[in-house]
Amino acid sequence: MPIVKLHQVTYHYPLTQTPALQAIDLEIEEGEFVAIIGQNGAGKSTLCYTLAGFIPHFYKGELQGLVEVDGVSAQDSNLSDWVMKVGLVFQNPFNQISGAKYTVFEEVAFGLENSGVPRPEIIRRVEEVLQLTGIADLADRSPYSLSGGQQQRVALASILVMQPKVLVLDEPTSQMDPIGTREVFSVIRKMAEQGMTVVMAEHKMEWIAQFADRVIALWEGKILLEGKPHQVLTDERLLEKGFGVSRYTTTARLAIPRKLWQPERPLPVTLEEAVAGFSARLHSNAPEGQP
Amino acid sequence: MHERLSFYIKRDSPLHRLNPLTKLTLIFGLILPAFLVPFYWTPHLLLIVVVFPLAFLGRVQREYFAASARLILPVAGFLFVMQALFIPGGETVLAKAWFLTLTKESLMFAFANAMRIMVMVSSFTLFMLTTHPSELMSDLTQRGLPGQFAYVIIATLQIIPQMQAKANTIIAAQRSRGLDTESSFARRIRALVPLVGPLVFGSLVEVEERAIAIEARGFTSSRPKTSLREIVDRPLDKGLRWFLLFVMLAALLSRIWFS
Repeated sequence: MPIVKLHQVTYHYPLTQTPALQAIDLEIEEGEFVAIIGQNGAGKSTLCYTLAGFIPHFYKGELQGLVEVDGVSAQDSNLSDWVMKVGLVFQNPFNQISGAKYTVFEEVAFGLENSGVPRPEIIRRVEEVLQLTGIADLADRSPYSLSGGQQQRVALASILVMQPKVLVLDEPTSQMDPIGTREVFSVIRKMAEQGMTVVMAEHKMEWIAQFADRVIALWEGKILLEGKPHQVLTDERLLEKGFGVSRYTTTARLAIPRKLWQPERPLPVTLEEAVAGFSARLHSNAPEGQP
Repeated sequence: MHERLSFYIKRDSPLHRLNPLTKLTLIFGLILPAFLVPFYWTPHLLLIVVVFPLAFLGRVQREYFAASARLILPVAGFLFVMQALFIPGGETVLAKAWFLTLTKESLMFAFANAMRIMVMVSSFTLFMLTTHPSELMSDLTQRGLPGQFAYVIIATLQIIPQMQAKANTIIAAQRSRGLDTESSFARRIRALVPLVGPLVFGSLVEVEERAIAIEARGFTSSRPKTSLREIVDRPLDKGLRWFLLFVMLAALLSRIWFS
């Protein structure tokens, strides 16, 4: 049984005529890792907010259709119960700091205090999640004194500590440098490996290709493509609609007419696949008699 | 700068171990007598016999005297000079120059008032040096203060260094576009407009994301909240609070009685 179920979901932000989401049908199985791609304004963030309950409980506007997580519909639930099931991490790490806490440890504990977890359990769970996210050494620092990647891992830890069933990430690394990106993705990968259901809006195709079980391409509030990462990320239609495409895919596309890439070979998305493809081509090309 | 967002000095002392509410009561247990008791030497005695020893008891004497020298003394000193010179009345003229008259009465009145200010600011300073803001808020929330109220107070305390950092970024950005922030006074005033605008509107936009972030952590949950910090409230605290309440009441009564 799918843990997340969206049926014919259409949403208008207040005072707008064009829908931000249009007749979205989506089912996500427990433990699945779904990546959402799309340009700015395609509805990625809106979809994330809908899954996380902030639509319809925080943003007003008009929501039609069925949004269901774990068998309960969003319209029948309230936000503070919903956030216990679906955790949301978004772009700007700085704005996700509660502003009410002086150390990272307290910051991560904030959600548990709010949900009335007894003190010994708070301490145990916070310590556990700090280890998991690799920020145990920052426990006594002020959240404001950290780098972007560290702050984003604090934000991630603050949500993970609440043990949500579904983790929704809205471009969690868009404001990070490469080191910060790697730090954040390594935590997300760990969570996915432990079987958490993850929905992530993201631009970085190479990372998506490595992580995701399924990719959804949004275009003007509608689902344009859906399927296995390689199948979606190398689809011609992404180019037509002006999606960003992995530079390795572009390179291989340009290489085909020059006979540098075997046309029967699927297009690469990651560096490793590109290297493998090009070296296979080189070896098949090697003159007879040479090793 | 960003590492330290409060005045709190982490140390182990009898004053640190007191319950935050007891210390809060202590502030008023010092201020009310200093202002109300009609006996002239009350504020002076309170300062020397209670406030100074408390600073040592809390093991924050160095920080306390540093803060006094930098912050409290100039304010109290200014007040003392102004009142000594400009309070009318008094018979015993000590000195006279032009339109200024210094009388013994105005001098004594000004001195006592300066001492009252010293007692007031000192007790707040000691409180902030020995009480962690989160501890105070956890304690007050557990005593029934609404969580939203506590959040507003703590977030306000934390926002000042953030705003400072943001203001510096905006100043740098606008100066790189040729904004003049260093010439005449009038030009500096005019330069404020393109600085304050982005600061205020930028902050308003951030409020929405901040609201989402704390909602995502169940801030508005109707379940009873718990606290990571264990706040002790010993019988000693309760006893002290009753005693301080008695002191405040006595100060009030003495005022009514003798005047």
